[in-house]
Amino acid sequence: MSFKIKVWHFIVFLMLLLIMLRINLLMNTFLLIIQFINLFVYSPSAADAQLEFTFFDSIISAILVIIIPVLTFLFRQRINFLQRKISFTSFVIIFLLSFFLFAPLIANTNPAFQKDLAVTKLLPPFSSIKVIHLKSDQNKIENSLSDFINLKNLVVKRSFDESLIFADSISIGNDLTYFQKGFPTSLSKDKLILKNNQPFITSKYFILGTDEFGRDIFSRLIYGARISLFVGLGSVLITLFLGLSLGFLAGYPGGFVDTTINRITDMFLAFPVIFFIILIIALFGNSLMSVIIVLGFSGWMSLFKIVRGEVISLKNKDFFISARLLGLSKTKLLLKEILPIIIAPVIVNLVFQYGNVILAEAALSYLGLGTGGSYPSWGSMIEAGQNYLSQAWWMILFPGAALFLTLFAANNLGREINSTLNPRLET
Amino acid sequence: MITFLFFLLRISPGDPSQKFLSPDLSPKLASLIKESFNLNAPLISQYETFLMNLCKGDFGISYTYRIPVIDVIKSFLPFTIIFSLISFVVQISFGFLLALISVRRINGIADKTFSKLSLMIYALPSFVVGVSLIFIFSELLNLFPSSGLSSFDSESFSFAQKLIDYSRHLILPVITLSLGGVAVYYKYLRDNLEEVYNKPFVENLRAHGFDEKYITRKHIIPNAVNPLISVAGVELGLLFGGALITEVIFALPGMGRLTVNAILSRDYPLVTGCTFVAGILVIITNLAADLIKAKLDKRVVKGILN
Repeated sequence: MSFKIKVWHFIVFLMLLLIMLRINLLMNTFLLIIQFINLFVYSPSAADAQLEFTFFDSIISAILVIIIPVLTFLFRQRINFLQRKISFTSFVIIFLLSFFLFAPLIANTNPAFQKDLAVTKLLPPFSSIKVIHLKSDQNKIENSLSDFINLKNLVVKRSFDESLIFADSISIGNDLTYFQKGFPTSLSKDKLILKNNQPFITSKYFILGTDEFGRDIFSRLIYGARISLFVGLGSVLITLFLGLSLGFLAGYPGGFVDTTINRITDMFLAFPVIFFIILIIALFGNSLMSVIIVLGFSGWMSLFKIVRGEVISLKNKDFFISARLLGLSKTKLLLKEILPIIIAPVIVNLVFQYGNVILAEAALSYLGLGTGGSYPSWGSMIEAGQNYLSQAWWMILFPGAALFLTLFAANNLGREINSTLNPRLET
Repeated sequence: MITFLFFLLRISPGDPSQKFLSPDLSPKLASLIKESFNLNAPLISQYETFLMNLCKGDFGISYTYRIPVIDVIKSFLPFTIIFSLISFVVQISFGFLLALISVRRINGIADKTFSKLSLMIYALPSFVVGVSLIFIFSELLNLFPSSGLSSFDSESFSFAQKLIDYSRHLILPVITLSLGGVAVYYKYLRDNLEEVYNKPFVENLRAHGFDEKYITRKHIIPNAVNPLISVAGVELGLLFGGALITEVIFALPGMGRLTVNAILSRDYPLVTGCTFVAGILVIITNLAADLIKAKLDKRVVKGILN
């Protein structure tokens, strides 16, 4: 009997690997949760001031990284998908999903972290630099709040850190001298954190190199996956809502309404959508929300066609007429009678739409109309990389490859679902 | 009939894009400039004048170029059309060629490789392709120029030299723009050809001992190509939009880049003009596809007449 790697093996293995690699961070996170509860009991207002998105993000990902492998292991017999042999598509999708959920755990730097540009600018992949840790003067007051903040700073990655100095090389004499691009600076030892009476110096690795502002491409890639998937999810939901409701609205009563909506849809279908998207985004400003909404509104046409066709063919069937005569509301008719029948083509359409939206988001970011500068995005990374093409190939290779793999996986997933749900279909 | 109605609707300027032309203007331009552009007038009357002018073929004066929009578009449009057409021809011919090769032996080596490759290429975003091509051919090999349409010293060239210069500049953009389309056409044609290949009448012909080449040329290809034409019409229309990103990557003087720049600089008359022209192009290509289809297949005409 040959051993096959199934999907659940892979998920559990990946999560365990992540836990092993980031065990320190996880322990700190759980300590942080305990301290937070502590703080919340004693002074709710102080605890309230500490709440931020990144804080919740770290905590949720830490909890999920423990829960998901357990759940996967427990439910491995029940869920069909987990029993499948691992394929390239599921491999990529699991990776992307774990980037999405565990971004704060996987990435060891904030995607916007910038420090000592002279050293970190445009570093090639697998390069490392020396990090000097300075003494911070925050430790003076000892109470529960400062404890909490110190711990939080360990867990939540900040976009700046005053207590670090990055250097190319370091020589230790009486004073410590560090070199940034061959330019020496000396520091007296009492400013540094000492370990065994030696200055505490670590190395920092940039697996995929850095960009023109010295930001870590690896962590930007991971957070970029998050943005891509999030934008895709948001706009696909909008598309689903629009397509379903408009399709039902057009198909159910028929007649004039049907003709009008259908004609408008034809109009949208024939027009190059990208012009429309760019126009609206340029006019209403580019933020995360506007990108999601516009992309959602630009992709409902094919779903509409599917739903409308199905509704028209189903509305004269006996079961539908009897359900209508029983007095079900229109929403219930749609959700209970029609949706279960058309769910297969709808899902397939949505998966393909998902790929399209991710591509469109990247294209918009590439044109500089994306989700704005505050979030890293694959498209904008490629756009930035184009200016440094001759010096830094890694700036476009990695986001480009990530984008390609994502789209490829989405297309494959669509075809696989299609062939699973319609067994009669060939290929 | 439906198509005809639809074209009428498209030509009528109830275009959704035009509704958004005015609301966001006010903070961007000083009121004096607004006066001169006639933007202080109420929206309805602006829309009225706009419609009136449109009927006369006047889109107004571009804010940035300071010349009539029509003239700006005139200088950018030929490039886009030529560029799109070249790419279109490349897409169709390569897709067709590869499909024929792979249909010759279904599930053979060529078929399998091309199918896999087409799926992969379909997933490649055009800007990734473009940037990688620039990196490989311009930076590493230094074979082709990376941007623009002509060399800086092209004024002194003779005609033939100019032609060579242009084509050298166009090779990378055409590859970038065509790659995705080749994959689409290949997949579509391959499936069509395969379907026709197994039809009973082809079996019948084969049983009668006709030459395989003769069957392919006279019976299989015409049957498989027919549904392609309407797809090709839509695709060519979309190509004018798809050329946008390629033009931005390679800094080519085309409609796509003009539109993006116009939108970014909020040059409203120019945006309207570009959108309108793009819409017209889409309509023309669709119409042309329908006409060709009707020419090839008399049943379509009968269907419309009924």
